[in-house]
Amino acid sequence: MHRHLLHCGLALLVGLAPTAALAQDAEGGPPEEEEGPGVRFNGLGRAFIQETDLGGTLLDTDTTSAETLADGEFVLDLEVNAQPNRVTEVQGTIRLRNEFGGFFGSGVTVEVRELWARGVVANVIEYRLGDMDYALTPFTVYLPEADGDINPAEVFSPLREVVEYEKFYTGRNTRRFQGGSVDFGLDFDQAIQTLDIRSFIARLQPTNFQDTPTRLIGGGRVGLTSVPLGPTGAQARLGVNLASTWDDLDSGNANSGLRNHVLTLDGTLAILDGDGLAFSIVGEGGQSIAKTAEQVEGGGEDGGEDMQNVLLRERDTFFQIGAEANLKQTGVNAGLHFVNVGPDFFSTAAQSKRIDYTRALSQFNRIGNDRALRGAGLFDLSRDRGLYTTNTESTQLVAYDPRYNNVLPYGTATPNRRGVRLDADYMPEASAVQGGLLVALLQEIRGQGTEELKDFALVRAEADVAIGSLASLGRDIGASLGLQFESTSRGGNQFETVDLTSFLIEVGLSAEVYDRLDVLLGAKTRSSSGNDYVPQLENFNDVRDFPGRFVTDDSESLLGAGLRYRFRDDVFLTVQYQHYSYGDDATPADDYSLGQVFALYTMSF
Amino acid sequence: MPRFSTFPRSVLAVGLVLAAGLSGCDHFTDPDGPNLTDRFGPFQLVEAVAADRATVDFAGGESVVFTAQFNKQTTWVLEIVGQESGAVRRIEGFSRELNADNARWSGRTTELPFFRPEDVVATLSFPDEPDANETTTQVSVQSARTYPGNVVTGFEQGDPGDIFLGNFEFDFDLSVTGVRTDPPAAEGNAFYRLRGTDATLNNFFVGLVRVTSQNANGYFTVPTAIPEDLYLNAFLRNFDAENTIIILEVVVDANGNGRFDNNDSIIGSGDIRLSEPGWTAFSRPISEFGLDEAQAQQIVAIRAVLISDNSAQPTPREPVDFGIDYITFTAGAPLEL
Repeated sequence: MHRHLLHCGLALLVGLAPTAALAQDAEGGPPEEEEGPGVRFNGLGRAFIQETDLGGTLLDTDTTSAETLADGEFVLDLEVNAQPNRVTEVQGTIRLRNEFGGFFGSGVTVEVRELWARGVVANVIEYRLGDMDYALTPFTVYLPEADGDINPAEVFSPLREVVEYEKFYTGRNTRRFQGGSVDFGLDFDQAIQTLDIRSFIARLQPTNFQDTPTRLIGGGRVGLTSVPLGPTGAQARLGVNLASTWDDLDSGNANSGLRNHVLTLDGTLAILDGDGLAFSIVGEGGQSIAKTAEQVEGGGEDGGEDMQNVLLRERDTFFQIGAEANLKQTGVNAGLHFVNVGPDFFSTAAQSKRIDYTRALSQFNRIGNDRALRGAGLFDLSRDRGLYTTNTESTQLVAYDPRYNNVLPYGTATPNRRGVRLDADYMPEASAVQGGLLVALLQEIRGQGTEELKDFALVRAEADVAIGSLASLGRDIGASLGLQFESTSRGGNQFETVDLTSFLIEVGLSAEVYDRLDVLLGAKTRSSSGNDYVPQLENFNDVRDFPGRFVTDDSESLLGAGLRYRFRDDVFLTVQYQHYSYGDDATPADDYSLGQVFALYTMSF
Repeated sequence: MPRFSTFPRSVLAVGLVLAAGLSGCDHFTDPDGPNLTDRFGPFQLVEAVAADRATVDFAGGESVVFTAQFNKQTTWVLEIVGQESGAVRRIEGFSRELNADNARWSGRTTELPFFRPEDVVATLSFPDEPDANETTTQVSVQSARTYPGNVVTGFEQGDPGDIFLGNFEFDFDLSVTGVRTDPPAAEGNAFYRLRGTDATLNNFFVGLVRVTSQNANGYFTVPTAIPEDLYLNAFLRNFDAENTIIILEVVVDANGNGRFDNNDSIIGSGDIRLSEPGWTAFSRPISEFGLDEAQAQQIVAIRAVLISDNSAQPTPREPVDFGIDYITFTAGAPLEL
């Protein structure tokens, strides 16, 4: 067994990532509600009607597919928020939903969308029970970004926001759990300034009383901040994070289940924090253990106790370390990181995907005379909430589409990657131009099916230009740009070589042409060419087989145009037409297009 | 966030201990998954299929290990065919070699009939390699595998006194009906064939064959008395007579006289229609016949009834026809081929 060993000293782990602090802020507490005791009603109302037409070359021969689909829904989410006193708050959301075309109770559903309670005990300990949004670090509990979106045009935002609302995506990479959490902090007089403790436990899936056991997740974070040190006021922030996912084999009749424990140490060493420049060393490192445990009834020494055998065990490590600088006066933030995530590193609560590519599409799932399954494209990724998941903590890595995300399909915690990553953004206050850049040059650590290693390159850039303020037009006019380039390559013999390239470009324009009336224009296009192997996996993330080369030479585009009238900031009506076309050079006769016209009214109150 | 004003220093110590445990960053770097060159490169047969013995005594507990080697992992199919019985044993795998772990044959069959003492030819083929040639080897079976269970009859002893043909309406074609050896039996050399035409009375009934116990107490010996675990097995032969209906019946001694008579309880299987060509294995727990534990130990006869589906018959009616062989009782599961 060839074993590659990197000795990473403890000092390496004393640097570590700033994301934990961001994640910690993600979970709000009662102090957000500054209003006093009482009962309040908030909520959201939405009406959506659409008609989609199927077209393109495919229809020249397709005599079986329906050419037009129309549907819609009317949704009212009524939030009842009660604060019996200033330290206790409960909230429930009742959803009333009616399918477009449902009458006299048919198609109408009433459900509880959300329930939670939170408060403060003895003015010291914060707690929350019920539904909660939770994140720790990108390697423990984290929801990676969705595929197919860089900086989408404003015209595509309304449908994307529907998906995010429906799936509880907060924009802070939090996961939606149902359970409980407890947070508190400690203040010190010497060396350590503060120590914060967070803990949580949640149920990810219930048992079906047969072959599916109850799956639970628990863990938390212990974070500390040092007092300022030395003449520069350097300050260290350290955190220990734990995320454990396990199946309760006493529930149901399942006799085997998952055990996944991830323990990490993250931190930031703020070396300099002056008026013009801030500089820090950041990083995170840790280890995962993934096991499949089998419960043997009466397998204990006395024959009466149950015993658990470990059927499969994998263990691996990761680390990420880098330097970050903030040029405060120019609004430039930049960070350079080295990452090393082991091939067997498995963190089910951080490596899942928002999109489940194995799910059926809501519209035109099968097309053509042979009723072939239609693959998910930009059209579907931008609106089909059925593709998106809320909790996909599974026993192995889920499927991905290399055309959309081949470099980091599972986000920062993607296993089997090492290399450098450059993050930079330009966000000066009150500036009309803002932008961001991500460059990642990575390589596999372990070859798949060969000793040869794949090389990955990722460039992701985005920019927003407030044309209205730049030209002093007095109206909200903005342009947006998003760009992603991905390259995957590998040398070797003719059966080992890999070469896959993908481009994703987004442009958008939003112009207020009359008071609160916006014209929205946008385009998104992707093209991919080349080939790669997409492995079939087993045992968490081991390669079981390669079904064949994944060969692609396809492109797709999504164009959108429409009007939006903003009654208030949280209330708008938009009417749009979006046109989608897909073409594959290998099968030109199967090229197709989709045209969708829709009206969406959204009201938050 | 609200804060305590005290300082448990032990919390800091725990954090440092945890940090020390995280100081390694080693990974396993052996290539993951099947070798790509093996998986998708050209196929070459390195070593042709061979058997580790020329003769085998399955009844004595012996088995045959087939070996072969190729230059890559691929899907392979080893098909062993009896030269007299036509029995087929198929072993499939995905690997770069055949060995004792994946290509051991202990005399079982995949497609009926059972193997007999006979020569067999084993052919190795590669369905995913269109340019690969088949390779063969030969083994001589000295004795066939012994299967578990209590045999009611295999019809090997001709037409002895325990076998009764009920030709009550003279519908049977007696030139064909009876113990036969051609086509090959499912087990051994002989089976029982029933062929006839419901021409006398329009009552769907053609006739039956009844096998009675020759044990001293009049009851068949069964491997278990638990009805849910006691399986009645038989091999049934389809002769492409499409209007044929078969009913297997269990006869229980209702009056306790220890022998078959017309007052006994006769419990049928329900209609059985054969759709697959050749021999088919039939298995059903006695509990599904409705027998209790006491009745399971008082089975005095097994009957196979030939029915003509006159509702579907053309005019004039065509013969109906089936074969039956190797009636057995097994415990715990259907007879495993």
